[in-house]
Amino acid sequence: LILMSQETPLQDPLRFHRKAPPCAVVIYGANGDLTKRKLMPALYRLAYEGRLAPGFAVVGVSRTAMTDDEFRDRMKDSVRKFLEDSPFDEDLWHSFAQGISYVAGDVGDPASFGEVAKHLACVEQTHKTEDNVLFYLSTQPSQYAEIAEGLAGAGLNKGKGWRRIVIEKPFGHDLDSARALQSRLQKCFNENEIYRIDHYLGKETVQNIMAFRFGNGIFEPLWNRTYIDHVQITAAESIGVEGRGAYYQEAGALRDMIQNHLLQVMATVAMEPASSFTSDAVRDERAKLLRAIRIMRPDQVADNAVAGQYGPGRSGSEHVGGFLQEKGVSPDSQTNTYAAVTFLVDNWRWAGVPFYIRTGKALPKRVSEIAIQFRVAPLAMFRKATAGAETVPNMLILRIQPEEGISLKFVSKRPGSGMQLRPVSMDFNYGSSFGERSPSAYETLLLDAISGDATLYTRQDMVEASWTAVQPIMDYWATQKFNFPNYAAGTWGPKEADEMLARWGHTWRKP
Amino acid sequence: MPTAEAIKPDKILKELGELWTNIGKPESSEEESLDGGVLRACAMTLISFVDDEEDAAALSETLASLMKEHPSRAVVVRVKEGEDALSARVFAQCWMPFGHRRQICCEQVEITASIDRLADVAAIVGPLAVPDLPRVILLRSARVVRAGAIRKILPLGDKIVVDSARPGAPGFGELGGLLDAGHIAGDLAWTRITETRSLLAQVLEGSKSATISVEYDGKEAGPETRYLHAWLESSLPDTRVTLKGSGSAGPGKPCTVRVDTDLTVQLTKGCAEIERGDVRQWANLPVGTDEELLNAELSIVVHDRIFERVLNQITA
Repeated sequence: LILMSQETPLQDPLRFHRKAPPCAVVIYGANGDLTKRKLMPALYRLAYEGRLAPGFAVVGVSRTAMTDDEFRDRMKDSVRKFLEDSPFDEDLWHSFAQGISYVAGDVGDPASFGEVAKHLACVEQTHKTEDNVLFYLSTQPSQYAEIAEGLAGAGLNKGKGWRRIVIEKPFGHDLDSARALQSRLQKCFNENEIYRIDHYLGKETVQNIMAFRFGNGIFEPLWNRTYIDHVQITAAESIGVEGRGAYYQEAGALRDMIQNHLLQVMATVAMEPASSFTSDAVRDERAKLLRAIRIMRPDQVADNAVAGQYGPGRSGSEHVGGFLQEKGVSPDSQTNTYAAVTFLVDNWRWAGVPFYIRTGKALPKRVSEIAIQFRVAPLAMFRKATAGAETVPNMLILRIQPEEGISLKFVSKRPGSGMQLRPVSMDFNYGSSFGERSPSAYETLLLDAISGDATLYTRQDMVEASWTAVQPIMDYWATQKFNFPNYAAGTWGPKEADEMLARWGHTWRKP
Repeated sequence: MPTAEAIKPDKILKELGELWTNIGKPESSEEESLDGGVLRACAMTLISFVDDEEDAAALSETLASLMKEHPSRAVVVRVKEGEDALSARVFAQCWMPFGHRRQICCEQVEITASIDRLADVAAIVGPLAVPDLPRVILLRSARVVRAGAIRKILPLGDKIVVDSARPGAPGFGELGGLLDAGHIAGDLAWTRITETRSLLAQVLEGSKSATISVEYDGKEAGPETRYLHAWLESSLPDTRVTLKGSGSAGPGKPCTVRVDTDLTVQLTKGCAEIERGDVRQWANLPVGTDEELLNAELSIVVHDRIFERVLNQITA
């Protein structure tokens, strides 16, 4: 500590917010939806909070021919439109926009990377970015390797400052393709320079799981097979695929949600405490947990994984068409819009505790949560006067969205004579207990990447462990002919998912 | 209005309990079925000493905005001149967050007391503090400072927050006295320059400077300027740090920091212009409102060693 304070005598960790070092962020796919809706508003918000260094620059790259001014105007419109919970400040935009520039180029053309290199040299002169560059690939996943190779070909993967590359999921479409992608990426960038973004991990409430588990002394002793009966992780969408049928048809719920977001959430819920809150220590524990997931044999898949696809139904008072009626969807599509899986973790802490994960489109409500069900009290001493209330198990609900927070369900005596018990809920509401605006996941993750903190990013061994866990399910489902649709829009999924839990003596919670 | 004898902490606590029972009752059967009601939140006891003349509505607004980030049991002591007076009332401040169906409420106790009853106030306020949570005193009453009654109220708090830039507020001498007595102290004048310090820390990182000049508008350096100067001086012992006023009229706030001959940081409202050689850059410099500064200060209920070092440098 003494050494640190001598090296940075002006730092004040108690009061200063973390600030990004000088750098240029180069966004490939700068004219795309993600840049407009998420990346640029997040960068603007970081500027609004004074988190960006004076020497900060954004370079947009895409195929569309545009001048710097045209690109700035487009980005200004996007920031105005998609900025959440924040005012738009014209003066701030003026100063922020001075760091924005644009290069038109096709990633299929090797010369375009040379143009970017020349442009970055100018940016370094005018903005003093210390030659630090973050490449953000907001493009089709099929272009990731090609862009990384193009950057390396132009010598952009090395410099006087640091170089990092951010890629969005999916990281491959199965285990083999994930490995193939990695083998091409690692020829261009070191593993510690590759940032695989999973925006779920950037959510405040997902990060709060770690604070809840490891910042408090009272929960961790209960956090094991002795006290926990089972865990349910739900990520439900009330809407269907909404015009993205063609894309979704290639992905499906298992690939789109469970393989990445929800297995990462499960790892955060179930991992061992890290020895320190440092990037590799935390990711090592997550990776260990993912590797401890029991791999299903083909004959076990039918009992432990359920695929679903929604048919016509109702969302509230509105009629909703089925997945097969979506534009761009093949009439005999076998794509799963719902997936539920029972995972078991083979380690001492969790042996025999089922982790049920489900996700789906066109379910009754939009909700993401983790429900931890504890074992019931060993002796029902109030049985006669409770009409079974005391056999209601304690539940801890970690709500990720929409109303982030934590609830603990327990039984309490009803006021009055006798010993009548009833279940009650003790709530902690994250949003209302802290009136502070929570940063968006992209603000958090962008600042992390610029600052070189990969704690909330996925490492290749975690990617491979996740694919390994779901690959037998994908392989088995690929051999099946499903009788889709098998659940109506606006319901909680196919009955087979209920039967899967019933085999364990459990039922799905209705969030 | 109750007499002094009638004001007992137990009675106030009982009234607070009744208040929660009443506001927790659903107003309709529909509300009951929605599992609505209120959410009670408390992270600290915030004890504010203000002069009776201070705008009650403005103070209430400030406290309400603090409650969202620092839900607390708020005790407001309004200090009056003149005749013997001591009274108390309790009420709740509630708000319904957008999109939620449950109100969040914080409790408030308002005590009005003449300056010579501050000893009684201490006896009342002490037991009202929420156990096991930090107790923070916000000292805005110039009257309390003038009357030298500050020592009576200090034992009530874990931390005392002042704004030395406010007229009649405790100065560096009194703040130094708080530190010497082992208290945790906070000064909003110090909090006000956090963003400026953070920016300077970033632009000066890794560089070795021979001289730094802190320039201010006005003839006399205000508390923010003096803090900035003392911070640089105490952090960079090998650098000569000087103070320079513009000589014209002004509030004495820092306006320019010159580092050797090649770096100038101009501080304007909301923005800083950084000139280094022929490169000119801008950085957003958020200006904190009083509520935002208080929010920041209430988040720190431990000794702030850097602030204490800087204050000691000024008072030495």
